[in-house]
Amino acid sequence: MSADVSDLSLVRRVQSGDKGAFDALVRKYQHKLVKLVMRYVRNPAEAEDIAQEAFIKAYRALPQFRGDSAFYTWLYRIAINTAKNAVVSRDRSPIEYNIDRNNDATEESYDMQGRMKDSETPEGLVLTDEIRRTVNAAIEALPEDLKTAIVLRELDGLSYEEIAAAMDCPVGTVRSRIFRAREAIDRRLREVFEGGLGRTEDLG
Amino acid sequence: MNEELDSQLSAMFDDELPAAECELLARRLSRDEDLRGRWGRYAAIGATIRAEGGPRLDAELARRVSVAISQEPAVVAEPVRPRSRPFASRLWAPVGGVAVAASVAAAAILWVRFESSPVDSQVVAQAASGTPGVGQSADSLTVVNTPDRYVVPKVIPRRSIVPPTQLANYVVAHSEFSSPVNRRNLLSALMASESGTAGAPAGSEEPSEDVNDDAKSPQ
Repeated sequence: MSADVSDLSLVRRVQSGDKGAFDALVRKYQHKLVKLVMRYVRNPAEAEDIAQEAFIKAYRALPQFRGDSAFYTWLYRIAINTAKNAVVSRDRSPIEYNIDRNNDATEESYDMQGRMKDSETPEGLVLTDEIRRTVNAAIEALPEDLKTAIVLRELDGLSYEEIAAAMDCPVGTVRSRIFRAREAIDRRLREVFEGGLGRTEDLG
Repeated sequence: MNEELDSQLSAMFDDELPAAECELLARRLSRDEDLRGRWGRYAAIGATIRAEGGPRLDAELARRVSVAISQEPAVVAEPVRPRSRPFASRLWAPVGGVAVAASVAAAAILWVRFESSPVDSQVVAQAASGTPGVGQSADSLTVVNTPDRYVVPKVIPRRSIVPPTQLANYVVAHSEFSSPVNRRNLLSALMASESGTAGAPAGSEEPSEDVNDDAKSPQ
């Protein structure tokens, strides 16, 4: 499967005047982009503001996007430039937060969470923690084959073909397992997103 | 919710859906708010597994961007247009077509005339290959075969594609499609060809004066 096909199909729709397709791109990449910007700014709220500005710049520049690179690569460059400009204009120095991609991701995430909790509002923390607990509880409750498939996909970034080789099963089975894992998690997560906070313990 | 649709959505999120299906689903995704909500939750699930939650995992940032974008004019990429031809080029295009057609017709007429006209090709071929003609002695050929002023090109014997009689019948049958001058030229050439063939039996041709002159030229 060629990379970036789904993003490109959404980009083409945006380029034909469809704003809903851009919303889908934002929903897909918002977490990645905020995490990226937080290498440059300490305040999570400021990181969200910069990510929002980067998305709007990307939207305005989309008519010039020809698909020579992957959409996220293009968006990544816009976000980095926006973050650097924001730091310069506010006369701040970027925090020393050099992520070595070879480091343990868990250690990195704890560091990130520690920084976030310094300035995050209690309400925002409660909601985010609720989502996190819900997802983790749902993953733990998954059958082993579904759990392995979704983790290999999301955490290790393997393609369906690579997962099929690792799990010794057809690609169609991998697709089905990942879909069923997401559906099982989403069934619980939907209640949190729709205002059902505090139900995690009951569901777990 | 349609399970097949959700399965496609999951595969599209992972960039594992064929391009044609992506196009269709992208259209639906851009119009269906519920489907985009599910899409966004898939992103939140992935972010949680990777522990990259950021400040928040809900869709608040997406909502803010959506509000900001709603105040922006819709972006429309300019389609790639084929380069238009200059005005002069477009003006001369039909004239050029007529000129090409006329050139092809003229070339065809000349070719037919050349094919049907009597040529001393056999004489030249004899000079080149040293085959003695009727009435020539072997001694005289020793002189003919050693020219020093030029090299006689090798002549490939040509055959008319269409026999002259059939060609004449064809020309007469289609006379309404050819100009009178061309028709007359063609027929006269065919007649000359016919008479040359009939009046001169094979092997009776005398070497032309030019060939004799060359053969007698001083060494």
